[in-house]
Amino acid sequence: MPMSTGRCSALTIGLCVCLSLGVDASLVWENPEVDLHPTLSDKTAVAHFKYKNTGDQPVKITAVQPSCGCTTAALAKDVVAPGESGEITATFNIGDRSGEQTKTIRVRTDEPKSEGTLLKLKATIPRLLELAPAFLYWRPGDAPAPKTIEVKIDADFPVTKLDVSSTDPAIKVESAPVPNEKAFRITVTPETGNRPVNAALKIQPDFPKDAPKTFYANVRVDARPAPFVAPPK
Amino acid sequence: MRAILIRQVLWLVGLAFLPAIGQALYYRGNAAWQQPPVDAAQVTVAQAKNWGAAVLWIDARSDGQFASAHVPGAMQLNEDDWTELLPKVLAAWSPERKLIIYCSRQTCNASHAVAERLRNEDGLKNVYVLQGGWEEWQKSDQ
Repeated sequence: MPMSTGRCSALTIGLCVCLSLGVDASLVWENPEVDLHPTLSDKTAVAHFKYKNTGDQPVKITAVQPSCGCTTAALAKDVVAPGESGEITATFNIGDRSGEQTKTIRVRTDEPKSEGTLLKLKATIPRLLELAPAFLYWRPGDAPAPKTIEVKIDADFPVTKLDVSSTDPAIKVESAPVPNEKAFRITVTPETGNRPVNAALKIQPDFPKDAPKTFYANVRVDARPAPFVAPPK
Repeated sequence: MRAILIRQVLWLVGLAFLPAIGQALYYRGNAAWQQPPVDAAQVTVAQAKNWGAAVLWIDARSDGQFASAHVPGAMQLNEDDWTELLPKVLAAWSPERKLIIYCSRQTCNASHAVAERLRNEDGLKNVYVLQGGWEEWQKSDQ
């Protein structure tokens, strides 16, 4: 017997309601997003994601997958009894990152119909200084004229001096404060002759004194033969 | 009869224009075609393969993933070891080469983060992100 349109719609709506009820997970997260504000000297930022099993069956956490190698996630217990609470501790290694960073951790459980939970760790890492640009390049045939890197210091940090050195002695560097600005200017001059050079500039501000920071800029003098240009006839 | 038909068509066209005009006024100076694409510098595997030797491939995945397999000739660069890996990439780069960065799949973010740093901090041009990442590259090789 063919089904009427009305009955068909009612059945579809009913099915959708049943399915949506079934998706309800019993592992409830108190804070699936955590905002962290590490200080300049912190090497890691640690987030605690708390959960509770609100169902009447034990839930097994089958996988905890951070989005990048910079984040590790530790789980105290993988089976959560009904009514039990717990937490996942995520440790984000800051490295030489700065600014806004968002890392995610996918948590999967053995609950039927559950697609897992995506936990979010947001870290706002202070930017002590900004290099513009962080890479200087001399093309083949370029005159070895000096180029500059502007170093902008964040207003919150009392940097008064920058020590700059080059890994190649043929790259001469000089650092000087920019008058009336919280900034420095690094002047870089290649004295390499025809020799190709790839060098790193080590930039060390005098703050923070308890946890000195080193920043790097890169310099390349390309000494490949310059492309041939036919002389005008 | 024909005149009625034409009038009806004109009415319908006019009605269709009303919300369009409203939207144009509301979003004045902010039209879709004036906006930059979400990521203008994404390339497909097919496009990338067409560029041939002009491409410098950059793998933004973790050490383990890179060690297990990568695009032939790719160099590794990720934010975990940025300071150590970047000089090698810059030594291999030249202005005429195109940098294509990839991570595991379409939803991973590492390739975008690396591309953004190369463009903004190091001032490199011709920096692209591979659509679909390593997952898509593998499919194209099957």
